[in-house]
Amino acid sequence: MLIPRRTKHRKQHHPKRTGQASGGTTISFGDYGIQAIEPAYVTNRQIEAARIAMTRHIKRGGKVWINIFPDRPLTKKPAETRMGSGKGSPEWWIANVKPGRVMFELAGVDEELAREAMRRAQHKLPMKTRFVSREGGE
Amino acid sequence: MADTKKLAATLRTEFGKGAARRTRRAGLIPVVLYGHGADPIHLSVPSHDTFLALKGNANALLTLEFDGRTELALTKDVQRDAVKRTIEHLDLVLIRRGEKVVVDIPVHVEGESAPGTIHTVESQTLSVRADALTIPEGLNASIEGLVEGDSVRASDVVLPEGVELETDPETAVVVISVPRASAEDLEADETAAEAGAAAGEAGEAATDDDAEADSSAS
Repeated sequence: MLIPRRTKHRKQHHPKRTGQASGGTTISFGDYGIQAIEPAYVTNRQIEAARIAMTRHIKRGGKVWINIFPDRPLTKKPAETRMGSGKGSPEWWIANVKPGRVMFELAGVDEELAREAMRRAQHKLPMKTRFVSREGGE
Repeated sequence: MADTKKLAATLRTEFGKGAARRTRRAGLIPVVLYGHGADPIHLSVPSHDTFLALKGNANALLTLEFDGRTELALTKDVQRDAVKRTIEHLDLVLIRRGEKVVVDIPVHVEGESAPGTIHTVESQTLSVRADALTIPEGLNASIEGLVEGDSVRASDVVLPEGVELETDPETAVVVISVPRASAEDLEADETAAEAGAAAGEAGEAATDDDAEADSSAS
């Protein structure tokens, strides 16, 4: 599971979800990718689930790149707790993904296999996404 | 002579994001044209025609007709909308006939490497110096019969006549490797196999119980 090794502050404010991705909007390493078309907080568990869904389907036939990293902590107050008494404890690690961001890339497999592997991975993600390929991306 | 795409451009007189947005709403793209020490010229070109001209060939040669002038231009930079992929702004560089230009050309892999191996394209583009009117659309890197550990270097890529390599010749373009499973994958596979076996046993036990129940009932 992806998690930062060391952080400057244990608890942070919620990151902004407005706007579009300013970088990482094209395929950089592989031939195919999954691009976000909605904003979302993607947890490290969702990233791992998508990666496993993809690698299981391609049966180690290709190479997978993960272009997002869950570097923002989100906190949660325990159930049935009165308001106040400070901020809750860190519960999740999330990546703040904006529309346009290419989150996963894949290479070394044919397009049909890549489409199916990425379709399975897309089901693990919390937002609308689309399949993009290097030829069709530009 | 190379095939150039003609675009009817108009001079822009107002600038800034408000003006740029009005230009885009009118079905045009704001463009800046510069090069050869001349002052930059601000133009707008038809959006759809430009999209078609640059589709599949980022180094397309454009012929701009504006203000009674005709200029040859090459795309230097394209700004696109991250989601819609529409072109928002273009940087064009002036070109003279017979001039040599340095451009990035996409690399296409051809052939099949040895069975059980995969290829990874390390450099998606190669920088080359070519005549502005005869820029190749792509370069082919052959991986036919290559085995694990082999690589295609920039110097191994066959260049068309009149084209010189600008990238370091030792740059790896394609690397052949055998896909290896990570420890996490192996662990996950084992867990899944165990879970599957346990589910199978539980299913069999349930079937036996049902069969016994059926026999006692009868």
